[in-house]
Amino acid sequence: MTVLWLVILGLAMGLVFGIALEKGRVFEPGVMIGQFQLRSWIMLKMFLTAIATGLVVLAVLNGSGLAPLHPKGTEYLNNLIGGLIFGAGIAIAGACPGTVLAQIGAGYKDSWFILAGAIFGAMAYGYAEPVLGPALSGGPGKLTIAEMTGLPYWALALILAAVIAGGLVFLERWRPWRDDLGTDYTGVPTGSSAHHPSGLAHPAE
Amino acid sequence: MLSLTDKAWSPYAAGVVIGLLQIPAFLLADTALGASSSFVSVAGYVASVFDPAVRDMDYFAKYMTSTKYAWQSALVVGIALGALISTRLAKTRRPRMSPLWRAALPVSGFGGRAAMAFAGGFVMLFGARMAGGCTSGHGISGVGQLAVGSILTIVAMFVGGIAVAMMYRKV
Repeated sequence: MTVLWLVILGLAMGLVFGIALEKGRVFEPGVMIGQFQLRSWIMLKMFLTAIATGLVVLAVLNGSGLAPLHPKGTEYLNNLIGGLIFGAGIAIAGACPGTVLAQIGAGYKDSWFILAGAIFGAMAYGYAEPVLGPALSGGPGKLTIAEMTGLPYWALALILAAVIAGGLVFLERWRPWRDDLGTDYTGVPTGSSAHHPSGLAHPAE
Repeated sequence: MLSLTDKAWSPYAAGVVIGLLQIPAFLLADTALGASSSFVSVAGYVASVFDPAVRDMDYFAKYMTSTKYAWQSALVVGIALGALISTRLAKTRRPRMSPLWRAALPVSGFGGRAAMAFAGGFVMLFGARMAGGCTSGHGISGVGQLAVGSILTIVAMFVGGIAVAMMYRKV
């Protein structure tokens, strides 16, 4: 495959990805932080729907022998410590590595600073990796639940997709997604101090 | 029906669209959806301007030579373009920064938020690379492949995110 073809394919897939992130509102800091504050549920709904859809897609593609899986390796300390730092970073930035680009496209100017910080964060890890990587390595390597249980991937994938779908039905009945859109689709609830001219957190401009 | 001029789609519709992107990812690009690796590619090229030795470092070299990361870098650029087009078609206008920040934090001006954004971006990508992936690679793709390390990473991600966000003012 030529690089040009891969770039065109990546751009086309990214366009669809970006439209879905913008329409789904999950790129909004108000939605992401709202999920971490357990007041908004749009992010979890979209994340679990994407996973469940992917499970069905991969159950078909892998089960029929059309595509091999590409699971990442398991290294306990790297995964757990890195995951904690990553989550804290999302809460400080208000974005993850994919949604920061959607924020830039949608017009948030502070997201350019997230992008710059992210590039330097990747650079810092790259320089630290020769020491940090081996120090925190250790684990079973590429390991999936399917391999652990000895059950076929496609069967487990379809079961988990069904469980997620069922859970989402209950989540939606408990908390309809429209309730979390917020003022002007920012994911920030109407009536929060952000929208009160006299609010403590709203300085004179 | 979903329309590009809609201000919002349900998270279920948007999630299905993203999940379906695994079809071209696995069949045409021979990889899974991901985003954070491309930051290492860009970081490698930026660093190589000042420090040509990075090309000889295994970690950077991997992300600067494989065509997989050309695909992923194009993907993240496409995300920005897609969001731009979607915003324009929906006639949704965003302020310079989300109103969330003034509601949740004692951040008043753009400068303070910009500094916080830079620091947050740095921590976020450092953590993602330590874990070996992000919300897309470990989350959507890794959990979808039932990878043990990905499930651990995403649980830790939510714990870390909730721990920090709970310190903010609840909006």
